Amino acid sequence: MSKQAVLERRRDERIAREHAERARETHTRRLWRLGAVAAAAAVLVAGAIAVSSSGGARPAPPATNSSLLAGIPENHGVLGDPKAPVTVTEYVDLQCPVCARAAESTLPALIRDEVRAGKVKLDVRTLSFLGPDSVRAARVAAGADRQGRLWAFLEAFYARQGGENSGYVTDDFLREVSKAAGVDASLALGQADSTFASSRLERADADAARMNVQGTPTLTVKRGNGPERVLKASPLDAAAVQAELDREAAR
Amino acid sequence: MRAAAIGVALAGLGIATYLTVVHYAGGEPVCAVAHGCATVQASDYAVLAGVPVAVLGLVGYLAVLVALARDGEAWRTAAAFLSLAGLGFSAWLTYAEVGVLHAICIWCVGSAICMALLTVLTVGRMLRAGGEPVSV
Repeated sequence: MSKQAVLERRRDERIAREHAERARETHTRRLWRLGAVAAAAAVLVAGAIAVSSSGGARPAPPATNSSLLAGIPENHGVLGDPKAPVTVTEYVDLQCPVCARAAESTLPALIRDEVRAGKVKLDVRTLSFLGPDSVRAARVAAGADRQGRLWAFLEAFYARQGGENSGYVTDDFLREVSKAAGVDASLALGQADSTFASSRLERADADAARMNVQGTPTLTVKRGNGPERVLKASPLDAAAVQAELDREAAR
Repeated sequence: MRAAAIGVALAGLGIATYLTVVHYAGGEPVCAVAHGCATVQASDYAVLAGVPVAVLGLVGYLAVLVALARDGEAWRTAAAFLSLAGLGFSAWLTYAEVGVLHAICIWCVGSAICMALLTVLTVGRMLRAGGEPVSV
């Protein structure tokens, strides 16, 4: 092999080595860049998840049609300040006429004096033991819950309550109730057969069994994360309920 | 790879546009899985910091398309970043659907699949782009 040929071969080998080295460097640089991009994306997503989990700055649902509930926050079916120290849970059946009476006689004072003041938050379990109309009503109520307007729905339902199991809980009736409560009727009715609605009914039944609820309405009280107990006061006696809650708050 | 990515981004943009229209029209998405879409759309997870997630998706797909329309290292990196962020958030939303809401929105699943495909394509494009010229 001539000296010229040897020089050319060495030159080609050098070029090939340089090519390979550059390619390696480029690939390594891109992998580092991918790592940085993935890390930045992870930070962005973590921030978004944190906002999403906390409910973020989601605007409050529009004010209810009722002045009683106006301006009171509702989160996952719980009415009032989430930090309120006392939780009152009402076990109801939407067809139950006594529940409708309690909604007129006891709840307004409770909401006006205790919930609005941030001392009590109101939770509810919609049972469905009276019949098929109760089941349908409770399921659509779960749809209203999804829209943050469960309490407005309950109020509007009681105001229009018909005879037990008379078949009055039709889709038209539920649409009318939804409209009065400021609930998107199509969405609420559409969610009646959802797994969410089923889980709400199951939770209500399970909690009622756990608390040995014998009839509706039944009120229970819980301070912080303490044990839940059934109120001794009649749900129809606003003054007695108020007095018992005052004693609970003073404990 | 670029053409495929643009096609997938357009499909995702179509889904996000549909969900945005449904959101503002106040209707219920056509859903093969009984009422799952309505449940998801009415949930807390449908809105992030006051902005509907459907709108975020729409903006995200548009941004990916803009990045794909340009060439160069920076734009390829931008497309990969947007796709990775979109995939991460889609994964979170899918978890929320299955683990929290117990409802599946078929449109959201479709968007998540689009984001997964986009991530594969844009990351592949970023890593496999032609190397810099080598001097001799």
